[in-house]
Amino acid sequence: MRKIIIIVFIGIALLFNSCSADFLEKYNPTQLDEGNFFLTEDQFEQALNGVYGQLQGYIGSQWPFTEYISDNTTVHFNISDRGQGPSLEAIEYFQIVPGTGNISSLYNNIYSSLGNINNTLKKLSDSGIDDDVRANFEGQLKFFRAFYYFELVRFFGDVIIVTEPINSPEEAYTFSRSPASEVYDLIEGDLNFAISSLPDPGSISSSEIGRISKGAALSLLGKVYLTKKQYGDAVSTLNQVLNMGYSLMPNYADVFDPENKNNAESILEIQYQADSDLGEWSGFIYNFYPRESYGAVINYSGANGGGWNIPTLDLINFYEEGDLRKVVSLSEGYTNTDGVWVPVPFITKYFHEDSYTVRGRLGNNWPVIRYADVLLMLAEAINEQSGPEDAYRFLNPLRERAALAPLDNLDKESFREAVLRERRIELAFENHRWFDLKRTMSPSELSTFLNEHGAHERENPTTSRGPVPFSPGDYIFEPYEVLFPIPHAQILINENLTQNEGYN
Amino acid sequence: MVIINYLLKRSFGRLGMVCLMLFLVSANSLSATRIMENQEISLLEAIELLSKKYEVYFTYDRTIVSHVMVSYDDDHRSNVNDELQNLLKETDLNFQIFDTQFVIIYKKDEQGLKSLRQMKNMMEGILQEEDHKKSDKSIALERRSSVPLLSRSPEYSLIDRRVVMNISGVVTDEQGEPLVGVNVQVKGSSIGTATDIDGKFIIEDVEDQAVLVVSYIGYQTQEINISGSISLSITLIADSQLLDEVVVVGYGTKRKRDITSAISVIDVENVGDVPASNASRLLQGQAAGVVVKQLTGTPGEQMNVIIRGVGSLGAGSDPLYVIDGFAVGTSIGENLNPNDIESISILKDAASTAIYGARGSNGVVLITTKNAKKGVADLSFTSYFGVQNLPKSRRINMMDGPQFARFLQESWMDRIRYFQNREPSLDEVPEGIRYPEQTKYSTDWLDAITQQNAPFQNYNLTLASGQGKIRSLVSAGYLKQEGALIETDFNRYSLRANVIGDINDFISMGVNLSGAYSGGKLAATTGRDAIVGKALWADPRDPIYNQDGTFNPYIGGKDGVFGTANPVMELHQHERKRYSNNITTNGFVEVSFLKNFKFRSSFSANIGSSQRKDFRPTTLAGGGFNNPPPQSAQLWEWHDKGINIAADQLLSYSRAFNEHRVDGMVGFSAQEDTWKQIHGYGLEFPNNEIRFMQQAENISSTSDESSWSLLAYLARLNYSFADKYLFSVSFRREGSSRFGADNKFGNFPAVSVGWRLSEEAFMSEISWIDDFKIRGSYGITGNNSIGNYNNSASLSSSGYILGNQYAPGVVLNSFVNRNIGWEESKQLDIGLDLSSFKNKLVFTAEYYKKTTNNMLLPVSIPSITGFTSTFTNVGKVQNLGAEFAVMYRTRIVNNLNFRTNFNIAFNRNKVLEIDGENDELWTGSFYGVHNRSLVGRPIGMITGYKVLGLFQTEEEIGNSPTQDGAIPGSMKMWDADGNGVITYDTKDMVEIGNPHPAFTWGFTLGADYKQFDLNILFTGAQNYDIMREIEKTTLNVDGVFNVLERAQNRFRSTDMPGDGRSPTANNWKWERESSSFYVYDASHARLKSLTFGYTLSPKANILKGARFYFNADNLLLFTDYPGSNPDINTGDNRSQGRDDEAYPVPRTLSIGLNIKF
Repeated sequence: MRKIIIIVFIGIALLFNSCSADFLEKYNPTQLDEGNFFLTEDQFEQALNGVYGQLQGYIGSQWPFTEYISDNTTVHFNISDRGQGPSLEAIEYFQIVPGTGNISSLYNNIYSSLGNINNTLKKLSDSGIDDDVRANFEGQLKFFRAFYYFELVRFFGDVIIVTEPINSPEEAYTFSRSPASEVYDLIEGDLNFAISSLPDPGSISSSEIGRISKGAALSLLGKVYLTKKQYGDAVSTLNQVLNMGYSLMPNYADVFDPENKNNAESILEIQYQADSDLGEWSGFIYNFYPRESYGAVINYSGANGGGWNIPTLDLINFYEEGDLRKVVSLSEGYTNTDGVWVPVPFITKYFHEDSYTVRGRLGNNWPVIRYADVLLMLAEAINEQSGPEDAYRFLNPLRERAALAPLDNLDKESFREAVLRERRIELAFENHRWFDLKRTMSPSELSTFLNEHGAHERENPTTSRGPVPFSPGDYIFEPYEVLFPIPHAQILINENLTQNEGYN
Repeated sequence: MVIINYLLKRSFGRLGMVCLMLFLVSANSLSATRIMENQEISLLEAIELLSKKYEVYFTYDRTIVSHVMVSYDDDHRSNVNDELQNLLKETDLNFQIFDTQFVIIYKKDEQGLKSLRQMKNMMEGILQEEDHKKSDKSIALERRSSVPLLSRSPEYSLIDRRVVMNISGVVTDEQGEPLVGVNVQVKGSSIGTATDIDGKFIIEDVEDQAVLVVSYIGYQTQEINISGSISLSITLIADSQLLDEVVVVGYGTKRKRDITSAISVIDVENVGDVPASNASRLLQGQAAGVVVKQLTGTPGEQMNVIIRGVGSLGAGSDPLYVIDGFAVGTSIGENLNPNDIESISILKDAASTAIYGARGSNGVVLITTKNAKKGVADLSFTSYFGVQNLPKSRRINMMDGPQFARFLQESWMDRIRYFQNREPSLDEVPEGIRYPEQTKYSTDWLDAITQQNAPFQNYNLTLASGQGKIRSLVSAGYLKQEGALIETDFNRYSLRANVIGDINDFISMGVNLSGAYSGGKLAATTGRDAIVGKALWADPRDPIYNQDGTFNPYIGGKDGVFGTANPVMELHQHERKRYSNNITTNGFVEVSFLKNFKFRSSFSANIGSSQRKDFRPTTLAGGGFNNPPPQSAQLWEWHDKGINIAADQLLSYSRAFNEHRVDGMVGFSAQEDTWKQIHGYGLEFPNNEIRFMQQAENISSTSDESSWSLLAYLARLNYSFADKYLFSVSFRREGSSRFGADNKFGNFPAVSVGWRLSEEAFMSEISWIDDFKIRGSYGITGNNSIGNYNNSASLSSSGYILGNQYAPGVVLNSFVNRNIGWEESKQLDIGLDLSSFKNKLVFTAEYYKKTTNNMLLPVSIPSITGFTSTFTNVGKVQNLGAEFAVMYRTRIVNNLNFRTNFNIAFNRNKVLEIDGENDELWTGSFYGVHNRSLVGRPIGMITGYKVLGLFQTEEEIGNSPTQDGAIPGSMKMWDADGNGVITYDTKDMVEIGNPHPAFTWGFTLGADYKQFDLNILFTGAQNYDIMREIEKTTLNVDGVFNVLERAQNRFRSTDMPGDGRSPTANNWKWERESSSFYVYDASHARLKSLTFGYTLSPKANILKGARFYFNADNLLLFTDYPGSNPDINTGDNRSQGRDDEAYPVPRTLSIGLNIKF
């Protein structure tokens, strides 16, 4: 009897046990599992699209490090929100330290995208999908990898190069920073691969518009050469872009109108969709709108902006008389709901009131590379290479479009300044300014330049600071600050990682 | 028979369903029927005829007689003897005649002979008693004499007494003092009473072989055989002596004397009549090492329970709650009615919790709900009504309207003086603050949102029936608690029903079913931007209402003061409701076989759903600052559903032979918990009246699902020899869905030993020691509170737009560590239990050392991996502690009893190791509080800048390390890293506070005098710090918030330094950071609860007991802490010591009534 009971009991236990393997397997039902992904072409396309998707996030938060830190934009001072801790303000006021949160986010976000790119590239090379398709996908992924490393090397200087997925934390500790030159080698290699495997812009089907083309890869490579001051390579690379069917839009305003997405002037723009229920709308402009405007700017009752990244008085005054681009790019203030003029400037370039219907869900694309940029790069490179003579034809069409007189008879130095000036206005708020300043000035020149700008801003702030004075350390730029610090947290956990000079 | 029964009833009152009954027939009760010869009639009828014919009295067991048919032929015989012999010849019955008048009929077997002997003894006893007690003048006898007798023969008085046998008695305690209100019940019947003020009781009409069940709270229940005696003297033994008392432990019960691990038992009856809207309240102050904090005063909210310190850096620290054997999770919820709780056991050491494996690390709270007691049937009603108020002494005093206006004006002028170095003229002062004396309004917003005398009421009705083989209980409860803040409340309707029964000697089964519906009006109350914080900083110069009586919709927003919604209006108009339904079922079948074996199969399920609705109308100003109305209306709705099911199969063996006592158990347990949610959000509504999603112009929704499962094999063996040497070992092997494929299963063994020295011969000489046990245990437990899917790599959606169409995309969303496994705690416990001086003094001491290893921490990893952190098993945390509990009870004089209970716990927490490269963990943010866990230090130390004082002069600033923006009156920070600059990263931050108390204690004082009783509970915690984070706002003197009254003494200039510690209003920069300026010692003692009660003498057969009481909850608080609640924590368990203001904790005064019928 006892034996029987025990057997029965064990039987019951086994009965439960037999299903235990399944019983203890739980996967998040709301997400895909990596284990059974990366098999079909369609799945690889989704992984590729994921990388595009991440770029939306990256571009949407790039402004603090390119425009805001520069003389182009500043903060709509807000005593109640000094910006995610002091972090955002720290960037405007040149108070970046290794612990500054936004710098950490910048660094981490780039490597996060690189992680996906490397993972997908690895899976792709192991897969059996069609060679042409694979080459195309690889070309796009390598373009992105080059794009991100170009960002990294310009922001941080020497950085860690990762080109394969990292599978364990232990492995990650073995990496250390590579010299910028090696980073550039990787960038050039990846871009050359992309150029060889990506289609011309004209052969991208209408359902695929938004994908990286050979034109984008050439333009970016041109910019890489320009940054490295390899002017000959820059000219020859960028010249190839001239024959790809791009042209300037007749009106500056048309370039940014959501009606004209991916227009003739567009080489690479980040795609968004108005009113999207799938989160594909672009909300960045709401960040830039004045605070406490209560619907006077955003046409929804009570709606306010974030008050970040507003044009400086310096930039507003920089426009030449009659420049058509000024009213397209910015507004010097607004009339509030009580009918009173409020002199808080804001960016209007990416705002089209009628282009969306759901509050907050705008559809404006973000221009990353425009044909205008390519023309200005060519003008810059040719001037550096052989003087302004052959360069006017790339600069003046932009001035003409803005109803300004063409330039002529400038010496090389003046032309260089003219190109930089033109870039500031033509490409205002398009995340070029910081790199343009860094490219064209030595660290000490940039330091002098920014300290002058800071002194000016302290004297005559773009917006009122209420009862709060500037701190003595605000707007003091030291030459070493041309490179951002490697995030403190990363150095803390990896002893192989060195800090940029000046931040220790 | 009908007639006889009728007469008996009429004459003598009740005669219930007793088996063995004394039966009387009188000649006066004639049967109308004429019986014919040789007729088959029932024996009962025959007896009736015979008793009439011969005038004799029969005694028999009715159950053996009632169904017997006999053949009766009248008049052939002339004596009872012959007639009966003839009558019973065909049956298995026999008879005997005594004193020629009394006939006993009995069964011809062993049982029958036994009952014959009993009946005979009983008769003899009564006859003797009759002689002795001729002079007895008891009330019962007197009353009896008025009963009309059935016969005039001299023996009638004897018969009379036997039939209506009344028991009287007195119940006393061990000291001989009478006990009032003791429940005396006739076993197996509804007859019962309670003792009066002299401890006396009388029960009428009791079967003389009946058994009395004598029970009293705090005393051992006794069963007493009457055995014919009519006067009883009963001595009850106090509970504390009850070493045979059974304590609920994991997957079973154990005799108290056999316990070799650290278990605290909370006698719910002793907690007193506290207004508890949540069952967690019952735990407060009761057990050493169990820290129960009421974090906020939100009605119905569960309190924060931590057993033996925060053990983990990574996973949760909440204990596991097990209700009636069902491990419901790390939260007890709001739906359990405290009134349904019978007892609570708290398992503290690994030996007791290891049987719960990966959920045992943080301790286990075992809750047992009420069942009907065997043999008892009663109906009880309990109710209390209270009012809640915020004590004036705990109020936060902000500036009133004129004070604030004056402050704004002065600060404005001070800035001109400092920054422009000149004396401003009055004309320059902005108009709004130019004439502070003309301030029209002065609103105390905190006062305005507070409800005075908020009612709190509770009703419970319980019907318990424990008679027979099937026992059942039905309980219904209703609780309504209005909040101490207006427009907040909590209601609960609960119902519980259970049935337990022994089907036969082998099978028993039971079902417990409970359902509850609870919820009410909520408000966002935690943090400075929520209602309470807002009520502190909102501009006091604005009125609540406009002239026309409508709400003033926008407060502040002028003169530089932040604009915000009217807190009163927000409470009224922002609809925020949550409701939850919950059904819990437990069922079991238990089979006993082979004498020593039992197999128990149980199944439990908890099905719950909850919904929350949140509608913010256009009329309210927006959140944050300076967003005046109208705003777009918004609606949020959440619907959640959870199903938690568990099945346990347990085979147990129990045997005692000679001096050995062995019991063992093996089992198998499986559990699965699934949660689903759908959430909707709507924006822009055509009006504020129709508040449903489809009205919204803009709708978005999400749905979610998450689940986990576990499987476990468990075993336990207990062995004791001579009740002296105790040994116990347990083992659990558990698998969980939460862990990586390579680490699915973990093993959790535990062992414990005990030695009862008091049983040893050499101890027997020490007469004052009643019981003395030393014990030790060691075991391994786990913690799986890490979230559900940390072990698998998943891809999350990251779509894009191509060709102006959505293109689906995916990205990796975590760095997967497939090896993640169990967090493991190893715990050593050494304890001592001592009962002495006739159990008047009971003492328990414990020492423990708990080391938690392999914590699942989100460890920072180089971001070049694509991710910044991953869950890894790293680190080591130690909790070392000692706990003492002492109970003393004594009689001071007659009728005056005194008892006290004191417990104190010391816990020392230390991080031993985190990860090679990650040797510290930070939580917190700028402008907030930083908590840092650093190797060698306790978990989550409050960290920030150390304030050395205020800069008094420019010169002092010049001579100090560079502190950007500092001016005279600014806080002077310590340059901790000595690099000459105060920096905005964490390099200059140091430890500025310890949120862990040096010790916590609870102290109960009880006394009763006759029918009055008094119960007082004190609780406290000593030497710990809280950062009063809200003061970064309420002492933020830059003119955007209303500030504390004390800010009037701020630094204004070098010549007017104020109180020397409140910073200047001229600049506000470093002052907003986490700093020692805001850290306060929160040591405190609370008079947590005081109950004064009066117990009414029971009314025999009507009322078993009644009690009236008055209770004061949260009566007094003794502390220097400036916030209203030193138990507050607005962070989590790893980020303790944060006070960003929350729902204040009210004081409750209540009166209550408990009645039992």
